[in-house]
Order: sequence, then structure tokens, then C-alpha cells
Amino acid sequence: MIFSKKKITLDYTVEKCSKCGMQRKRKFSEGDVLFSECSKCDSCDGVYFIEKIFGETLE
Amino acid sequence: MSLVNFTNIDFDQLFAMSDDTNPIMMLIWILPIFFFVFYGQRIQLYVTSGEIKKGIAKLDGFRNESRDELINYVKKNLKLNNDPVQKIDRFIDYFTIMPVDMDPNGIVDKVRHIVRSREDYTREHVRSLSPQMSDVELSKIQTLLEIASSLQMIYKIINHMFLTAKKQNNYPLILPLQMILPFIMEQSEAMKEAIPVFKKGQPVGDGIGPMIIGKMMLKHKKETVAFQTVLAKSEFEGRELFLLKAEGPGSTVGRPADGLEKIVSENKIDAIIMIDAALKMEGEDSATVTRGFGAAIGGIGTEKFEIEAIATSKNIPIFSIVVKQSVKEAITLMTKEIADKADDVRTQVYEMIQENTTQGQSIVIIGVGNSAGVPQ
Repeated sequence: MIFSKKKITLDYTVEKCSKCGMQRKRKFSEGDVLFSECSKCDSCDGVYFIEKIFGETLE
Repeated sequence: MSLVNFTNIDFDQLFAMSDDTNPIMMLIWILPIFFFVFYGQRIQLYVTSGEIKKGIAKLDGFRNESRDELINYVKKNLKLNNDPVQKIDRFIDYFTIMPVDMDPNGIVDKVRHIVRSREDYTREHVRSLSPQMSDVELSKIQTLLEIASSLQMIYKIINHMFLTAKKQNNYPLILPLQMILPFIMEQSEAMKEAIPVFKKGQPVGDGIGPMIIGKMMLKHKKETVAFQTVLAKSEFEGRELFLLKAEGPGSTVGRPADGLEKIVSENKIDAIIMIDAALKMEGEDSATVTRGFGAAIGGIGTEKFEIEAIATSKNIPIFSIVVKQSVKEAITLMTKEIADKADDVRTQVYEMIQENTTQGQSIVIIGVGNSAGVPQ
């Protein structure tokens, strides 16, 4: 339709440190699965786990 | 300010009926009346047809797109022995004939048998494309096949209704089509947009229940309790929790009723809590969390029937927590609003346990929904 705006959905992954609770958001990359271990935390000796995977819509 | 006097209307002048009226002016009044009496419906049919044709063209595009996406995915991700196109086309056209319901006695068992037979058949035939494929890959392809098959069926039915109305020049026949088309388009667009999500193995809005239970299951021993359904046991303030969900990260809803039946046959259960996504009403905010009673589970109804039957026979109360969302949100990539509610729902589950059970009791908590991208 003439007046309908095209919406773009961007997918993100949120990682959370299991120890200090620090969170960081990044673009989703192929192979990301919820609750899986990602990397070591920068601010403590904990490990980052994938907490959420979601989409945000831009208009 | 001048006022118009509506009491002084000359009808002869208004309808051009007086003797001195120009006959051409009279025809201009009268001819359209006759024209619209005889051809009004046909004109409406043409106007409405244009709108419906655009919708059908879109549906045609969706079904072709979903088929092509499926074929490309299979060709790209599986080790194939033969060209899969012919086989996939055959699967897409498969139909299901629901059992006769003139005598409703035993209808649920019949529906369950037919639906499960179809699922089993599809699974085995998808596996035959590439016998070494993993179960997760198999579930993804099965879901993509279901989407392509549904879009094909929708297109065929809508096109049939439209062509029948056009063939008969029957305007009333096109009215129901005009009324349902916006809903059909909404669902079809949602299905089309769900394709890349399932291909990437991302969680969908409907996966909020499994996502909550999946997190509660982490660090606990998991066992397969029914087909594509996992169980983990944990404890909370002196209560035993039986956590049940579909086996992720494959795209499946599992068989929670079979899992519940097994749990109930081996343990004394005091309460069942079900967490699911529910369709929001128009005007309701998305990702609203509400609590209620009764089995929160969608689908064709057989799982719900079985869960209710088990709960009734053992006199177990069923509590439910639902996260409201639209059709589109339920089958496309989980939105931030829904994902952000996971912690809130988990807190509400624990509150519900504290409010409705006592120490020493056992509770089954079922995360209902599609477990695509949601492991445990």
C-alpha cells in the first residue's frame, strides 16, 4: 500500500555474566542458542551465557 | 445568520416531475436508479474482486516463496542422494481428512491418531531425504514444510472461493471472502515472516513458556519423559517441582499430555501450573502477563483434552500464566518486550507455588509452546 511503511526487524543476542550479572547486547550471529556459554567475563572471572535472543523492529 | 427553510420543499421540482420539466433531466434522475437496481451487485462484485485479486496474488507469492525457501534450505543444508524437488512438492500437497464427528464419542482419540500419523509420516519421509540429518535439522525442515503446506492450502481455498463467486457472478458469495481476507492475510504474512526465524533456529514468541522452564531446568538432570518432551526435577521451599517442556532447541511442541500422564502415574501431584503464550485481544498491550485457571494450551485440542482429563480424574487444580501476544508475534522472532517478561513470569510462578501449595507437596510446571532455539 502507498502509505504503509516497511518494517525491518533486527535480531539481537543478550549475554549475561553468570557471576556479576553484567549484560551486553550484540547482533545475533548464526549458531547462537539460548543459555549456551559464550565467553569469559571482562570484569570478573565469571562466564557469559546467552540470556535472550529477540528482534527489535525499526520503522 | 440566514436559515434554510426545510419545510418549503417542492417535490415536483425536486424530482423533476412537473409538466414543464425537461425529459432529459428526468432521465438523468431515473436511469441511474434502474441501472443500479439491475447492475449494482455486479458493480460491487467488480470493485470487490479487484481487492481480492490483489490479496490472492500476494498469497500466491507467499506460497511460492515458502516453497522456494524450503527447497533452497534442503539443498544447502542436507547431503542429498537425489533431487528433492519432486518429493517436497508431493509433501506440500498432502492433506488431512478429519474424522467424522456425527457421533462425537471417541472423536478426540481419532483426531489424535490422524494428527500423529500425519506427523510421523512427514517426519519419516523428511528423514528419507537425507537419513543422516540431526533431529534438530529434521524438526526445522518439518516446520518449514508445515508452513509451505499451510500457505499452499490457504491459497487454494481462497482462490477456489473467489473463482466460484466470479464464475457464478454471485456477489453474496464473495462477501464472506471479503470479510475473512484481512485475517487470512495477517496469518499468512506471519507465516511467511516465520520462515527465516525457523531457518536460523531462533526462539519465537510462542517459545516464552519453554524459555522460562528451560532456564529453570539448567543444572538439573534431564530425562525424556515422552516423545520430544523432557522432564527435570527440582525443589523450591520444601516442594518438589516437576519441570516439563518440549525438547529444544528443535522446533517442536512435544507431547506434554503424555509427559504429564507418566508423571502423574508415578507420583502424587498436588497442582499443575501451565505457562503459555496467549492471543491478545485488540487493544490489549503485547507481552502483558496474566494469571488464570484451566489448561493453557493451544493446538487442535487433543493435548488440552488429555491434560484436563488427567487433572479431573486425579482432582488436581490447574493454574495458568499466559503472556499475551498477537498471531504474528507468536510465530515470528520473539520481541524484546516478550523476552523481557521471562524473569517476571518466573517470579510469578514461584509466587503462585507459594500461594497455592504447602511444603511437602509436588507441582508439575509445564512450559507450553514451540521450543525452537530454546534448549534446557
